[in-house]
Amino acid sequence: MAKAPTTLRRQDHEHDQAEPRKPRGSQDIFTMVINPTYLAQRTRSSASWGDAKQRVLHSYRDWVRSAPEIQQMYSLNMPVSAIRTKMRQEFERHRYVAQLRTVDVLLFNSHQEFQETLNFWKQLTHVLKYFRAEEDPKAKLPQNFIQGFIEGRN
Amino acid sequence: MASLHKVAAHTMRTAARPTLSRRVPALCRHQTGAAADVPEPPIPMTGIIARAPSSQAVQTPSASMIRDNPDYNVAVDYRTSNFSPIPARVMDGSEPGETTPAAVLSGAPVELQARTVRIYRPAKPATQSGDWHHQHWRMDWDVMSKGHRWENPLMGWQSSADFMQGTHLNFKSRDDAIMFANKQGYEYFVQEPNERRIIPKAYANQFVHQPKKLKQIRTK
Repeated sequence: MAKAPTTLRRQDHEHDQAEPRKPRGSQDIFTMVINPTYLAQRTRSSASWGDAKQRVLHSYRDWVRSAPEIQQMYSLNMPVSAIRTKMRQEFERHRYVAQLRTVDVLLFNSHQEFQETLNFWKQLTHVLKYFRAEEDPKAKLPQNFIQGFIEGRN
Repeated sequence: MASLHKVAAHTMRTAARPTLSRRVPALCRHQTGAAADVPEPPIPMTGIIARAPSSQAVQTPSASMIRDNPDYNVAVDYRTSNFSPIPARVMDGSEPGETTPAAVLSGAPVELQARTVRIYRPAKPATQSGDWHHQHWRMDWDVMSKGHRWENPLMGWQSSADFMQGTHLNFKSRDDAIMFANKQGYEYFVQEPNERRIIPKAYANQFVHQPKKLKQIRTK
Protein backbone atom coordinates (compact mmCIF):
# COMPACT_ATOMS: atom_id res chain seq x y z
CA MET A 1 0.00 0.00 0.00
CA ALA A 2 3.02 2.32 0.31
CA LYS A 3 3.56 1.59 -3.34
CA ALA A 4 0.99 4.12 -4.58
CA PRO A 5 3.45 6.79 -5.77
CA THR A 6 5.17 4.19 -7.92
CA THR A 7 1.80 3.15 -9.25
CA LEU A 8 0.94 6.70 -10.24
CA ARG A 9 4.21 7.08 -12.06
CA ARG A 10 3.63 4.09 -14.29
CA GLN A 11 2.55 4.74 -17.86
CA ASP A 12 -0.72 3.19 -18.90
CA HIS A 13 -1.02 3.64 -22.62
CA GLU A 14 -4.52 2.23 -22.85
CA HIS A 15 -5.95 4.44 -20.16
CA ASP A 16 -8.82 6.70 -21.22
CA GLN A 17 -7.66 10.26 -20.85
CA ALA A 18 -10.51 11.75 -18.89
CA GLU A 19 -8.32 14.29 -17.12
CA PRO A 20 -5.18 16.14 -18.27
CA ARG A 21 -2.09 14.10 -17.58
CA LYS A 22 0.36 15.48 -15.05
CA PRO A 23 3.96 16.03 -16.23
CA ARG A 24 6.07 13.03 -15.51
CA GLY A 25 8.37 14.59 -12.97
CA SER A 26 5.72 15.73 -10.51
CA GLN A 27 4.46 13.25 -7.97
CA ASP A 28 1.61 14.70 -6.05
CA ILE A 29 1.48 12.43 -3.06
CA PHE A 30 -1.27 14.37 -1.34
CA THR A 31 -3.82 13.24 -3.92
CA MET A 32 -2.87 9.62 -3.52
CA VAL A 33 -5.96 8.19 -5.10
CA ILE A 34 -5.86 4.79 -6.69
CA ASN A 35 -7.43 5.43 -10.02
CA PRO A 36 -10.25 2.90 -10.37
CA THR A 37 -9.72 2.53 -14.06
CA TYR A 38 -6.05 1.74 -13.77
CA LEU A 39 -5.31 -1.37 -15.83
CA ALA A 40 -8.70 -1.19 -17.50
CA GLN A 41 -8.69 -2.69 -20.95
CA ARG A 42 -11.10 -2.24 -23.76
CA THR A 43 -12.97 -5.44 -24.54
CA ARG A 44 -12.01 -6.94 -27.86
CA SER A 45 -12.09 -10.22 -29.67
CA SER A 46 -9.02 -11.79 -31.15
CA ALA A 47 -8.90 -11.43 -34.90
CA SER A 48 -7.03 -14.68 -35.43
CA TRP A 49 -5.03 -17.34 -33.67
CA GLY A 50 -1.89 -15.30 -34.12
CA ASP A 51 -3.53 -12.34 -32.44
CA ALA A 52 -4.76 -14.55 -29.63
CA LYS A 53 -1.30 -16.03 -29.14
CA GLN A 54 0.19 -12.58 -28.87
CA ARG A 55 -2.41 -11.49 -26.35
CA VAL A 56 -1.86 -14.62 -24.29
CA LEU A 57 1.89 -14.08 -24.23
CA HIS A 58 1.52 -10.41 -23.27
CA SER A 59 -0.87 -11.38 -20.50
CA TYR A 60 1.54 -14.03 -19.25
CA ARG A 61 4.42 -11.62 -19.25
CA ASP A 62 2.38 -9.06 -17.33
CA TRP A 63 1.56 -11.63 -14.70
CA VAL A 64 5.09 -12.89 -14.30
CA ARG A 65 6.45 -9.37 -14.14
CA SER A 66 4.02 -8.52 -11.39
CA ALA A 67 4.86 -11.50 -9.14
CA PRO A 68 7.21 -9.64 -6.75
CA GLU A 69 4.68 -6.87 -6.37
CA ILE A 70 1.92 -9.33 -5.55
CA GLN A 71 4.13 -10.99 -2.97
CA GLN A 72 4.79 -7.69 -1.32
CA MET A 73 1.26 -6.35 -1.50
CA TYR A 74 -0.40 -9.36 0.05
CA SER A 75 2.51 -10.37 2.30
CA LEU A 76 2.59 -13.88 0.96
CA ASN A 77 4.80 -16.36 2.80
CA MET A 78 6.20 -17.96 -0.29
CA PRO A 79 9.01 -17.19 -2.69
CA VAL A 80 8.35 -15.32 -5.89
CA SER A 81 9.19 -18.46 -7.83
CA ALA A 82 6.27 -20.27 -6.24
CA ILE A 83 3.92 -17.50 -7.34
CA ARG A 84 5.31 -17.65 -10.85
CA THR A 85 4.91 -21.41 -10.91
CA LYS A 86 1.30 -21.03 -9.96
CA MET A 87 0.76 -18.48 -12.74
CA ARG A 88 2.35 -20.85 -15.21
CA GLN A 89 0.18 -23.66 -13.94
CA GLU A 90 -2.99 -21.64 -14.48
CA PHE A 91 -1.97 -20.79 -18.01
CA GLU A 92 -1.04 -24.40 -18.78
CA ARG A 93 -4.42 -25.57 -17.60
CA HIS A 94 -5.93 -24.02 -20.72
CA ARG A 95 -3.18 -24.78 -23.17
CA TYR A 96 -5.19 -27.04 -25.43
CA VAL A 97 -8.29 -24.95 -25.94
CA ALA A 98 -9.39 -25.35 -29.53
CA GLN A 99 -11.89 -22.52 -29.99
CA LEU A 100 -10.98 -18.89 -30.46
CA ARG A 101 -14.00 -17.55 -28.61
CA THR A 102 -13.12 -19.62 -25.58
CA VAL A 103 -9.63 -18.18 -25.66
CA ASP A 104 -11.14 -14.69 -25.76
CA VAL A 105 -13.19 -15.34 -22.65
CA LEU A 106 -10.21 -16.84 -20.86
CA LEU A 107 -8.12 -13.80 -21.76
CA PHE A 108 -10.79 -11.55 -20.40
CA ASN A 109 -10.92 -13.51 -17.16
CA SER A 110 -7.16 -13.46 -16.87
CA HIS A 111 -7.04 -9.72 -17.25
CA GLN A 112 -9.89 -9.28 -14.82
CA GLU A 113 -7.97 -11.23 -12.19
CA PHE A 114 -4.85 -9.25 -13.00
CA GLN A 115 -6.59 -5.94 -12.53
CA GLU A 116 -8.26 -7.01 -9.32
CA THR A 117 -5.03 -8.33 -7.89
CA LEU A 118 -2.83 -5.40 -8.73
CA ASN A 119 -5.33 -2.77 -7.73
CA PHE A 120 -5.51 -4.39 -4.32
CA TRP A 121 -9.19 -5.06 -4.68
CA LYS A 122 -8.63 -8.62 -3.55
CA GLN A 123 -7.84 -9.76 -0.06
CA LEU A 124 -5.37 -12.34 1.13
CA THR A 125 -8.04 -14.99 1.21
CA HIS A 126 -8.86 -14.49 -2.46
CA VAL A 127 -5.25 -14.74 -3.51
CA LEU A 128 -4.66 -17.82 -1.37
CA LYS A 129 -7.50 -19.65 -3.10
CA TYR A 130 -5.04 -20.39 -5.85
CA PHE A 131 -2.67 -22.05 -3.39
CA ARG A 132 -5.14 -24.21 -1.56
CA ALA A 133 -3.97 -27.40 -3.25
CA GLU A 134 -0.50 -26.92 -1.81
CA GLU A 135 -1.42 -25.70 1.62
CA ASP A 136 -4.48 -27.66 2.69
CA PRO A 137 -4.04 -31.42 3.19
CA LYS A 138 -7.77 -31.95 2.82
CA ALA A 139 -7.75 -30.59 -0.72
CA LYS A 140 -5.93 -33.55 -2.16
CA LEU A 141 -7.30 -36.26 -4.33
CA PRO A 142 -6.19 -39.80 -3.51
CA GLN A 143 -3.18 -41.09 -5.41
CA ASN A 144 -4.49 -44.48 -6.39
CA PHE A 145 -7.39 -46.83 -6.09
CA ILE A 146 -6.55 -48.28 -2.69
CA GLN A 147 -6.22 -44.91 -1.04
CA GLY A 148 -9.49 -43.80 -2.58
CA PHE A 149 -11.15 -46.98 -1.46
CA ILE A 150 -10.00 -46.51 2.12
CA GLU A 151 -11.25 -42.95 2.12
CA GLY A 152 -14.56 -44.03 0.68
CA ARG A 153 -14.60 -42.00 -2.50
CA ASN A 154 -15.74 -43.60 -5.71
CA MET B 1 -39.56 -50.94 -15.65
CA ALA B 2 -38.26 -48.02 -17.61
CA SER B 3 -35.66 -48.99 -20.09
CA LEU B 4 -32.41 -47.54 -19.00
CA HIS B 5 -30.23 -46.34 -21.83
CA LYS B 6 -26.71 -45.90 -20.65
CA VAL B 7 -25.39 -43.38 -23.09
CA ALA B 8 -21.63 -43.20 -23.04
CA ALA B 9 -21.43 -39.48 -23.32
CA HIS B 10 -17.75 -39.46 -24.06
CA THR B 11 -17.36 -42.35 -26.41
CA MET B 12 -16.34 -39.87 -29.07
CA ARG B 13 -13.74 -38.35 -26.87
CA THR B 14 -10.38 -39.88 -26.62
CA ALA B 15 -9.61 -42.44 -23.99
CA ALA B 16 -5.93 -41.90 -24.53
CA ARG B 17 -5.80 -38.19 -23.91
CA PRO B 18 -3.11 -37.58 -21.32
CA THR B 19 -3.88 -35.79 -18.11
CA LEU B 20 -2.82 -32.27 -17.27
CA SER B 21 0.25 -33.28 -15.32
CA ARG B 22 1.60 -35.65 -17.91
CA ARG B 23 0.67 -33.74 -20.98
CA VAL B 24 3.24 -33.17 -23.67
CA PRO B 25 2.60 -31.16 -26.82
CA ALA B 26 1.84 -34.02 -29.16
CA LEU B 27 1.53 -34.29 -32.88
CA CYS B 28 -1.56 -32.66 -34.27
CA ARG B 29 -4.03 -35.17 -35.52
CA HIS B 30 -7.06 -33.43 -36.95
CA GLN B 31 -10.39 -34.82 -37.84
CA THR B 32 -10.92 -34.64 -41.57
CA GLY B 33 -14.09 -33.29 -43.06
CA ALA B 34 -15.92 -30.30 -41.70
CA ALA B 35 -12.98 -28.89 -39.83
CA ALA B 36 -10.86 -28.47 -42.92
CA ASP B 37 -11.54 -24.76 -43.34
CA VAL B 38 -10.80 -23.83 -39.72
CA PRO B 39 -7.39 -22.15 -39.51
CA GLU B 40 -4.94 -24.28 -37.62
CA PRO B 41 -4.13 -22.94 -34.19
CA PRO B 42 -0.43 -22.41 -33.52
CA ILE B 43 -0.82 -23.93 -30.07
CA PRO B 44 -0.42 -27.69 -30.51
CA MET B 45 -3.47 -29.77 -29.70
CA THR B 46 -3.31 -33.22 -28.24
CA GLY B 47 -4.23 -36.02 -30.57
CA ILE B 48 -7.97 -36.37 -30.63
CA ILE B 49 -8.96 -39.80 -31.79
CA ALA B 50 -12.33 -39.83 -33.51
CA ARG B 51 -14.28 -42.93 -32.65
CA ALA B 52 -17.21 -44.29 -34.55
CA PRO B 53 -20.39 -43.40 -32.69
CA SER B 54 -21.61 -46.47 -30.85
CA SER B 55 -25.25 -47.38 -30.57
CA GLN B 56 -26.98 -46.49 -27.40
CA ALA B 57 -27.60 -50.01 -26.18
CA VAL B 58 -24.08 -51.35 -26.69
CA GLN B 59 -21.27 -50.20 -24.47
CA THR B 60 -17.89 -50.22 -26.12
CA PRO B 61 -15.08 -51.38 -23.87
CA SER B 62 -13.45 -47.99 -24.03
CA ALA B 63 -16.52 -46.24 -22.64
CA SER B 64 -16.70 -48.44 -19.59
CA MET B 65 -12.97 -48.11 -19.19
CA ILE B 66 -13.34 -44.37 -19.07
CA ARG B 67 -16.09 -44.62 -16.52
CA ASP B 68 -14.42 -47.14 -14.25
CA ASN B 69 -10.98 -45.63 -14.37
CA PRO B 70 -10.95 -42.43 -12.43
CA ASP B 71 -8.17 -40.08 -13.29
CA TYR B 72 -6.20 -39.46 -10.13
CA ASN B 73 -3.97 -36.81 -11.67
CA VAL B 74 -6.69 -34.35 -12.45
CA ALA B 75 -5.93 -30.74 -11.58
CA VAL B 76 -7.32 -29.86 -8.20
CA ASP B 77 -9.11 -26.58 -7.65
CA TYR B 78 -9.85 -24.70 -4.48
CA ARG B 79 -13.14 -26.46 -3.91
CA THR B 80 -11.79 -30.00 -3.80
CA SER B 81 -12.54 -31.62 -0.47
CA ASN B 82 -12.62 -34.95 1.29
CA PHE B 83 -15.93 -35.74 -0.33
CA SER B 84 -15.13 -34.85 -3.92
CA PRO B 85 -15.48 -37.75 -6.30
CA ILE B 86 -12.70 -38.29 -8.78
CA PRO B 87 -13.54 -37.50 -12.39
CA ALA B 88 -12.75 -39.86 -15.20
CA ARG B 89 -11.88 -37.01 -17.49
CA VAL B 90 -12.10 -33.26 -17.22
CA MET B 91 -13.12 -31.03 -20.05
CA ASP B 92 -10.30 -28.75 -21.11
CA GLY B 93 -11.54 -27.08 -24.24
CA SER B 94 -9.71 -29.29 -26.71
CA GLU B 95 -12.76 -31.36 -27.64
CA PRO B 96 -13.63 -31.22 -31.33
CA GLY B 97 -16.90 -29.73 -32.48
CA GLU B 98 -18.79 -26.50 -32.06
CA THR B 99 -20.01 -27.11 -28.50
CA THR B 100 -19.04 -24.30 -26.18
CA PRO B 101 -16.74 -25.75 -23.51
CA ALA B 102 -18.74 -24.24 -20.71
CA ALA B 103 -17.04 -26.41 -18.12
CA VAL B 104 -13.82 -24.52 -18.81
CA LEU B 105 -15.39 -21.09 -18.70
CA SER B 106 -18.06 -21.31 -16.06
CA GLY B 107 -15.77 -21.63 -13.08
CA ALA B 108 -17.85 -24.50 -11.74
CA PRO B 109 -16.11 -26.99 -9.44
CA VAL B 110 -14.16 -29.67 -11.26
CA GLU B 111 -15.80 -32.38 -9.17
CA LEU B 112 -19.12 -31.75 -10.91
CA GLN B 113 -17.65 -33.41 -13.95
CA ALA B 114 -17.17 -36.54 -11.90
CA ARG B 115 -20.79 -36.93 -11.00
CA THR B 116 -23.33 -38.65 -13.16
CA VAL B 117 -26.49 -36.86 -14.08
CA ARG B 118 -29.82 -38.46 -14.90
CA ILE B 119 -32.00 -37.01 -17.66
CA TYR B 120 -35.59 -38.16 -17.45
CA ARG B 121 -39.16 -37.12 -17.69
CA PRO B 122 -40.82 -36.99 -14.28
CA ALA B 123 -43.58 -39.55 -14.04
CA LYS B 124 -47.19 -38.55 -13.78
CA PRO B 125 -48.70 -39.30 -10.38
CA ALA B 126 -51.15 -42.20 -10.41
CA THR B 127 -54.25 -40.08 -10.24
CA GLN B 128 -57.04 -39.43 -12.64
CA SER B 129 -55.90 -35.84 -13.25
CA GLY B 130 -54.45 -34.75 -16.56
CA ASP B 131 -50.80 -35.08 -17.54
CA TRP B 132 -50.01 -31.73 -19.06
CA HIS B 133 -47.59 -30.88 -16.26
CA HIS B 134 -45.11 -33.58 -17.08
CA GLN B 135 -44.07 -32.80 -20.64
CA HIS B 136 -40.68 -31.37 -19.69
CA TRP B 137 -37.38 -33.14 -19.18
CA ARG B 138 -35.48 -32.95 -15.95
CA MET B 139 -31.81 -33.28 -15.04
CA ASP B 140 -31.04 -34.69 -11.62
CA TRP B 141 -27.75 -35.40 -9.87
CA ASP B 142 -26.92 -38.85 -8.61
CA VAL B 143 -26.28 -39.35 -4.95
CA MET B 144 -22.66 -39.07 -3.80
CA SER B 145 -21.06 -42.16 -2.36
CA LYS B 146 -19.46 -40.34 0.55
CA GLY B 147 -20.82 -37.29 2.26
CA HIS B 148 -24.30 -37.50 0.93
CA ARG B 149 -25.92 -37.24 4.31
CA TRP B 150 -24.99 -37.64 7.93
CA GLU B 151 -26.48 -36.65 11.23
CA ASN B 152 -25.23 -33.50 12.89
CA PRO B 153 -23.61 -34.60 16.16
CA LEU B 154 -24.94 -31.68 18.15
CA MET B 155 -28.58 -31.42 17.18
CA GLY B 156 -29.23 -34.44 15.04
CA TRP B 157 -30.00 -32.36 11.97
CA GLN B 158 -29.33 -33.80 8.58
CA SER B 159 -26.05 -32.47 7.17
CA SER B 160 -24.79 -32.98 3.69
CA ALA B 161 -21.65 -32.32 1.68
CA ASP B 162 -23.59 -32.58 -1.54
CA PHE B 163 -24.26 -29.13 -2.87
CA MET B 164 -26.33 -30.43 -5.76
CA GLN B 165 -28.76 -32.38 -3.66
CA GLY B 166 -32.24 -31.10 -4.15
CA THR B 167 -31.27 -29.34 -7.37
CA HIS B 168 -32.81 -30.15 -10.67
CA LEU B 169 -32.91 -28.41 -14.01
CA ASN B 170 -35.84 -28.47 -16.38
CA PHE B 171 -35.60 -28.59 -20.14
CA LYS B 172 -38.10 -28.49 -22.96
CA SER B 173 -36.70 -31.52 -24.75
CA ARG B 174 -34.31 -34.42 -24.33
CA ASP B 175 -31.84 -32.97 -26.83
CA ASP B 176 -31.66 -29.69 -24.93
CA ALA B 177 -30.76 -31.58 -21.79
CA ILE B 178 -28.14 -33.68 -23.57
CA MET B 179 -26.57 -30.61 -25.13
CA PHE B 180 -26.40 -28.95 -21.78
CA ALA B 181 -24.76 -31.98 -20.19
CA ASN B 182 -22.23 -32.15 -23.02
CA LYS B 183 -21.49 -28.45 -22.74
CA GLN B 184 -20.86 -28.67 -19.02
CA GLY B 185 -18.85 -31.86 -19.23
CA TYR B 186 -21.22 -33.95 -17.16
CA GLU B 187 -21.47 -37.70 -17.46
CA TYR B 188 -25.09 -38.46 -18.11
CA PHE B 189 -27.55 -41.19 -18.84
CA VAL B 190 -31.00 -40.82 -20.32
CA GLN B 191 -33.91 -42.65 -18.77
CA GLU B 192 -36.68 -43.18 -21.29
CA PRO B 193 -40.14 -42.37 -19.96
CA ASN B 194 -42.86 -44.94 -19.56
CA GLU B 195 -45.53 -43.89 -21.96
CA ARG B 196 -49.10 -44.41 -20.97
CA ARG B 197 -50.95 -46.86 -23.16
CA ILE B 198 -54.67 -46.38 -23.55
CA ILE B 199 -56.39 -49.18 -25.49
CA PRO B 200 -59.78 -48.31 -26.94
CA LYS B 201 -62.26 -50.97 -25.87
CA ALA B 202 -65.84 -51.54 -26.84
CA TYR B 203 -68.08 -53.92 -24.95
CA ALA B 204 -69.91 -54.91 -28.11
CA ASN B 205 -66.75 -56.48 -29.55
CA GLN B 206 -67.25 -59.46 -27.28
CA PHE B 207 -70.41 -60.44 -29.22
CA VAL B 208 -69.00 -60.08 -32.71
CA HIS B 209 -69.20 -63.41 -34.64
CA GLN B 210 -65.89 -65.24 -34.98
CA PRO B 211 -65.68 -68.57 -36.86
CA LYS B 212 -62.80 -69.79 -34.71
CA LYS B 213 -62.49 -70.33 -30.98
CA LEU B 214 -63.59 -67.33 -28.94
CA LYS B 215 -60.86 -65.43 -27.16
CA GLN B 216 -61.82 -63.18 -24.30
CA ILE B 217 -59.22 -60.60 -23.44
CA ARG B 218 -60.16 -58.84 -20.30
CA THR B 219 -57.53 -56.14 -19.86
CA LYS B 220 -55.49 -55.71 -22.99
